[in-house]
Amino acid sequence: MTDQTIASHVSAPKPAAKPARGIWRQGWQRFARSRTGMLGLVLVLIVVATAVIGPFVAPFDAQDQSPMLDPGAKAPPSWTNPLGTDRMGYDVLSRVIYGAPTALAVGLGAMSIAAAIGILVGGVAGYRGGTTDEVLMRFTDFFLVIPMFVVILAVVRLLGVAVVDTPFESVPYLNLGVIILLIGVFSWAPIARMTRAEFLRLKNQEFVEAARCIGATSGDILFRHILPNALPSLIVIIALGIGGAVLAEAMIGFLGFGDPAAVSWGQLLYFNYQALKVAPWASLSPGLAIFVTVLGFNLLADGLTDAFNPRAKN
Amino acid sequence: MRVFVFLARRLIFAIILMLGVSAAIFFLINAIGNPIELMMAETPGMTGEVIERMKGYYGLDQPPLTRYLLWLGRLLHLDFGTSIVYNQPVGSLIATWGWQTLKIQLPAILIALAIAILFGVTAARRQHSRSDFTVMGTALLGQSLPAFFLGILLIFVFSYTLDWLPSYGAYSTRNPLWGSPTLDALWHMILPVAMLTFFNTATLTLLMRSNMVDVLKSDFIAAMRASGIPERRVIYVHALRAAFIPMLTYLGLLIGLMLGTAPVTESVFTWPGLGSLYVAAIHQLDYPVIMGASAVIAFMLICTTLLTDVIYVLIDPRISLEGGP
Repeated sequence: MTDQTIASHVSAPKPAAKPARGIWRQGWQRFARSRTGMLGLVLVLIVVATAVIGPFVAPFDAQDQSPMLDPGAKAPPSWTNPLGTDRMGYDVLSRVIYGAPTALAVGLGAMSIAAAIGILVGGVAGYRGGTTDEVLMRFTDFFLVIPMFVVILAVVRLLGVAVVDTPFESVPYLNLGVIILLIGVFSWAPIARMTRAEFLRLKNQEFVEAARCIGATSGDILFRHILPNALPSLIVIIALGIGGAVLAEAMIGFLGFGDPAAVSWGQLLYFNYQALKVAPWASLSPGLAIFVTVLGFNLLADGLTDAFNPRAKN
Repeated sequence: MRVFVFLARRLIFAIILMLGVSAAIFFLINAIGNPIELMMAETPGMTGEVIERMKGYYGLDQPPLTRYLLWLGRLLHLDFGTSIVYNQPVGSLIATWGWQTLKIQLPAILIALAIAILFGVTAARRQHSRSDFTVMGTALLGQSLPAFFLGILLIFVFSYTLDWLPSYGAYSTRNPLWGSPTLDALWHMILPVAMLTFFNTATLTLLMRSNMVDVLKSDFIAAMRASGIPERRVIYVHALRAAFIPMLTYLGLLIGLMLGTAPVTESVFTWPGLGSLYVAAIHQLDYPVIMGASAVIAFMLICTTLLTDVIYVLIDPRISLEGGP
């Protein structure tokens, strides 16, 4: 309690929140000038809007196979089915729309897990230094070289067999949850490295020294002083990671190991790829959706680099 | 002398990593369930007694740690066991299928490097020009285009629409192109190599450009130009060498990414490589192949990292040998 009063008293003329707001406002001004960044933001917003309102405006339900009867399976685009129908008689447009929430759930879910682990490990390593740093960074190196995709495939498939006849079988979206968890657990290493580098850079700067002098606790220094200043760099790497996670899930789905209960773009490709020659619209539409989402997050990250770390680029 | 100490430390760390990764793969896969029980879960009418006998036969009734050490011991003798599906030694399966993977990945890396150097240098020399903008834009788009979707697009255009190139496999089952198996094999390689090359080129070009821009601003380039060395030589020999060194680390990462996603890229073209072998093994629960192939892929990744570190030290005299192992 006492440190809090002193802290607020000392910094009374200039509230501590001001510089942080400055970073964000300046960042936004620079971001708005970055053409690639704005394009990325627009693409991401389109995907988010599709995920949020799409399911209410989609012409068909995700599980509605009625087009099988009227235009038939693999029918080309028409007024009732703007993107045609697929091999199993689903409306392609509706299925692509229903894929958006799944993709965002994977991207955001996996990256939340990765960010939580990465910031914790990297932050402790950077702040503590010494042996702790050495041990944690070797642990991080280990996660950098593990072939994540190869391991996830095996685990998802084997788990699918192992849960049969157990209570876990009835858990909804178990498969998708496991995929999100595994992508998160295997992609925190770059975040940890970045956090460590930022913490090393920041921990001896004057404002941290000042906070230490007025008796701020370690937790306060870490979370209220260092972390907010490290966030701009971390946001860039997290935005890139969201695109990467969406792509990873698409690849798992494309190989046929996705969640049968969830509609995902990779899985749509898996179901329709064999009919690429007869019904190209059914494969190209979900593929384009993956491309647009990944592109959106990559360009967003590019714009964020311009905004917060202009010297990193030429 | 310091170089040797550095290399020795690197090597020891790589060995520890290999042990760690192999243990992680082994225990993760075995933690999910006993292989025999999972394999028999899809076979109806298996009684408990038969399963117990099979466990005993394959040595799967022993504690996991013992099994891991036995597996590791056999790995050291390059004995990966026998595939349940193919009934062949896993080692020779990995060698034959791995060769096909190498056949498309090695050319893809080399061609991508050549293109990246050409475009990256051109863009860097005329920074902010139209050609720079075009190269950057294409590379940025290419970076986000998933390799497997690019493969699907290539098949759609060049195999199905234009009917120029084969869409699957590494060779024709009958009637090879112009009666020559070699030409036939090359003909089948074009699309998969094009897919991987494009994927690699995008990021390498962006990196090449930004490194080159930095190098061209440095003092030693100005000094060389001032001393009358021909511009072409300054750019393509001296500047290029300086700009290339930081790319090595990334090259290692890229090779790892390409190997790690081989299961997807290869299944687009039904290419008979290590990735396809792995996917088939997972579908059929062919345990020895799953364990062997994932261990080999992990070992290849670690070796690539080790190799890039070693080359880095050997060609860059400025590197500090003190920091980190």
